[in-house]
Amino acid sequence: MLPHLDAAYRFARWLCRSSSDADDIVQEAFLRAFRAFDSLRGGDVKAWLLTIVRNCHATAMQQQQRRATVPLPEDHEAQLRSAGADASPDPASLSVAEEERRTLGRLIAALPQEHREVLMLREMEDMSYREIATIAQVPIGTVMSRLARARAALRGHWLKETGGVPRAVR
Amino acid sequence: MQCAETLRVQAYFDGEVDAVSALEVERHAEHCAECRSLLEHLADMRARMRRELEFPSAPPQLRASLDRVLDEETRTATRELTARAPPRWRAPPRWLTALGGAGAALAATLALFLVAPWGANPVLDALVSAHVRSLMPQHLTDVVSTDRHTVKPWFAGHADVSPVVTDFADQGYRLLGGRADYFDHQRVAAVVYQHGPHLINVFAWVGAGPSLPQYTTRSGYHIACWKLGNLQYCAISDTGWDELQGLTRLLRAAGAEDMPH
Repeated sequence: MLPHLDAAYRFARWLCRSSSDADDIVQEAFLRAFRAFDSLRGGDVKAWLLTIVRNCHATAMQQQQRRATVPLPEDHEAQLRSAGADASPDPASLSVAEEERRTLGRLIAALPQEHREVLMLREMEDMSYREIATIAQVPIGTVMSRLARARAALRGHWLKETGGVPRAVR
Repeated sequence: MQCAETLRVQAYFDGEVDAVSALEVERHAEHCAECRSLLEHLADMRARMRRELEFPSAPPQLRASLDRVLDEETRTATRELTARAPPRWRAPPRWLTALGGAGAALAATLALFLVAPWGANPVLDALVSAHVRSLMPQHLTDVVSTDRHTVKPWFAGHADVSPVVTDFADQGYRLLGGRADYFDHQRVAAVVYQHGPHLINVFAWVGAGPSLPQYTTRSGYHIACWKLGNLQYCAISDTGWDELQGLTRLLRAAGAEDMPH
């Protein structure tokens, strides 16, 4: 019986984009949580656990960057483009709904992490601003502004992709 | 040109404003086309995300490997604790005391944990299982009532014990009802309380078995145990410690009043 395992896994998936990395991070997070459980006094277990997931992810990122000779690209527009190129099978074989689903997932994955995490915690995990502030370790005001920026960015990309302006030829 | 109310409209949409501000935002949106369209867009995007994005569950192999890793961790912790003799918990290290209040709290929990290595306690495991089982649909209560005079006599016919039953709605613990459960080879009474969004099961049975830790945590559930007369009580919930202790204090006080003088 592991409480909030699914939520922790979902969050890890959105943080690191690859499912095997997510497995490792969740495992590490639960181990840390297990060892530290007695230091948790009151408070919300889910937010506490997701904070640990986030910290584990940050640690893993640092280690990865130290190992890598070439720094990871920080250019999100470039990621958007390459992700788009990867994930575009024959459009005719996809239903409109399926294509929109893929588009939405891809656009969110391409958001910067600080935007992606507040957006997913709010919209998918239904967490309050205060809980998100705890997890992301930023003040509530920052949560609000990041959330606004994340939503605006997603809206912009979404309109561009789905018809606010004519669809780009692939 | 962006309307100055954008952030407040967003907070309103997220249910993060009080009633007065909500009214102001609603009035504002009646006149501001930009904010009206923002609200529509926010609702549309949320619905789309919840409808179209995956809600992946943790894969079974991750679950299995976690169970393995945590079992191993429990065994190691228990071995280390039992190997330590004599227990040195009475004098917490200086760095712990130096932390002040937080350190003291941590030291207290550590001490509790060190002095009582409840590595494998079948009763605690049974408690957690019974609690989890009760959270499944239709399993929570057999007799639904917020009236102690309905719940308490019901136990007489269905469980072997007649535990303390009191509604503490005024203190934030609403009595939902009772249930007869079975574990540790006997019938057990379970009284169910609701505190905010959390459910608390209070189990009671004739306690002849091994003594239980006063406070412990199993699989993420906090458990508080106490004895009253010949009855063993255990309260279990996913709520925080403070909330759980609030209820146990009330129950112990109510129980002490019930006892013959």
